[in-house]
Amino acid sequence: MPRNAPRRCSVSRMGAHRETLAIEIDGAAKRYGGPGGFTAVDHVDLAVRSGRVHGLLGPNGAGKTTTLKMLLGLVRPTEGSFSILGEPAGPTVRARVGFLPEQPYFPPLLNAEEVLKLHGRLAGLDAAQIAARGSDLLARVGLEGRGTTRLSKYSRGMLQRVGIAQALIAEPEVVVLDEPASGLDPVGQRDVRNLMLELRESGTTVLLSSHQLSEVEAVCDEVTILNRGRVSARGAIDDLLNVAGRTSVRARGESAVLPADIQSVMEDVAVSGSVWVFSVPDTAVRAVVDILDDNGWTIESIVPKRQSLEEYFSHMLEVTENEVA
Amino acid sequence: MGRILAIAAAVVSDAIRRRIVWVVVLFALILVAVIPMLPSYGQGVIEAVYREVALALVYVAAIVVALVLAANRIPSEVERRTVYTVLVRDVRRWEYTTGTWVGIALTLAAASLVFGVIVFATGWLVYGEPMWTLWQGVLAIWMEAAVVAAFCVAVSAVASPVIVGVSALAFLFLTHVRADLLGGPSNPLWSFYPSLDVFNIIAPVAHGTGVSLAYIATMAVTFAGWAGVLLVLAALGFARRDV
Repeated sequence: MPRNAPRRCSVSRMGAHRETLAIEIDGAAKRYGGPGGFTAVDHVDLAVRSGRVHGLLGPNGAGKTTTLKMLLGLVRPTEGSFSILGEPAGPTVRARVGFLPEQPYFPPLLNAEEVLKLHGRLAGLDAAQIAARGSDLLARVGLEGRGTTRLSKYSRGMLQRVGIAQALIAEPEVVVLDEPASGLDPVGQRDVRNLMLELRESGTTVLLSSHQLSEVEAVCDEVTILNRGRVSARGAIDDLLNVAGRTSVRARGESAVLPADIQSVMEDVAVSGSVWVFSVPDTAVRAVVDILDDNGWTIESIVPKRQSLEEYFSHMLEVTENEVA
Repeated sequence: MGRILAIAAAVVSDAIRRRIVWVVVLFALILVAVIPMLPSYGQGVIEAVYREVALALVYVAAIVVALVLAANRIPSEVERRTVYTVLVRDVRRWEYTTGTWVGIALTLAAASLVFGVIVFATGWLVYGEPMWTLWQGVLAIWMEAAVVAAFCVAVSAVASPVIVGVSALAFLFLTHVRADLLGGPSNPLWSFYPSLDVFNIIAPVAHGTGVSLAYIATMAVTFAGWAGVLLVLAALGFARRDV
């Protein structure tokens, strides 16, 4: 496999083309400083299917934000083509896009209603639409009754909520969220997750850039992982995280140890009280179930073994580091 | 046009809440109020002195307000990333720079209106005559301040606030030394020298009967030319910039 090539690709670009693509990036590159300069993004391809929540993952400096900025016209790409909803990603089609930047900030002397008014007007809404949508969105993001408070008095989490509201003011077909849970408390993070799921249910496409792997795992249908400006992996979450050939067993029993016949095939054992979770080869599942059953254990679940996104991510970065070394 | 006005409206809402703007206005107005306490001159002269000093104060205050509002507007919006959510909409870069300038120019117009009302009212109350020509002077001052704001927007599209401030002062200096550098209109370069002298009508307003409508039209055309050229430069500079 060539260095830095995507490791798994269950959602191939060919496959993605069979469905409508809401966002398509081909060969995006951004270099700073001329020949020999710094390459922030190196020929990144990205395909986001309509109505899906797509995660863009990567460590700091991976090129996530630069890729989003090129898509949205904030940074001029060195190379590459960008399209949104089937059109070149210019100002016209951006009227159908909502964007939440990382740690959004607004003129501090304005209030939330004025910010929504500005963005509503820029999106072509009339005064009545802005008023209706504005009050609805402020309530939806938990800022009901705070619309006339100056933003200089807002906490970072409240600014984040204003940012989400302005991104949704024009009922966009595509929403690009850069670290949407940044600065939010756990309740706020849950609200953002629910919001993304609501958007998906309503058919809105969401491109989510995040460090928070649990957030990505909870809401994303597919992910693209960037590292050092390149795509390291892409695909459906399940395909990326399921461990081929192994099954995870969760069983409950009174015994302090598992039957001896199982111990020779089990791995990744975790015990909490009387509950045991371990993995076994797929080929041994039937035998393991019989042994547990014969010994009076209660089997609570048998599912394909899946590593956490954190584990996957750490492993992927480790491999990349080794390749570079 | 709607997007430009939307951006301008947000700039006005933000700018009129800046304390520094109104501190400058208040300070200038206090000075205007004390002008009548200057040593008395002969009748007819003291009114002219009042008009001259009042317009000079308004000029300085308007230029300071223009620099305060325009020099750091775009750099701070880029640095704070407030510009992101605006530019990712159906907004062209030139619409953003133009809307920013229009908002600053409207705020300057509001400040100039306040200046004008106070200067006019003080003159009428103290000297018992309505000095209508003062409004010509206020209009000229607003035009020049708005041109300075356009210059700041153009430079700030590609440079830091410090560079903007220094270059704006240099711009003001260079655009007012045509007569010193070239002598007079007989110099062949006279018509080509970039000058803001057309807006300097303090002398005819303070000591004469003001300027004609034709001259005001000349000022308006000059204003539109300066603003247009500077806004094109602002748009070109900002269009190529990564934010």
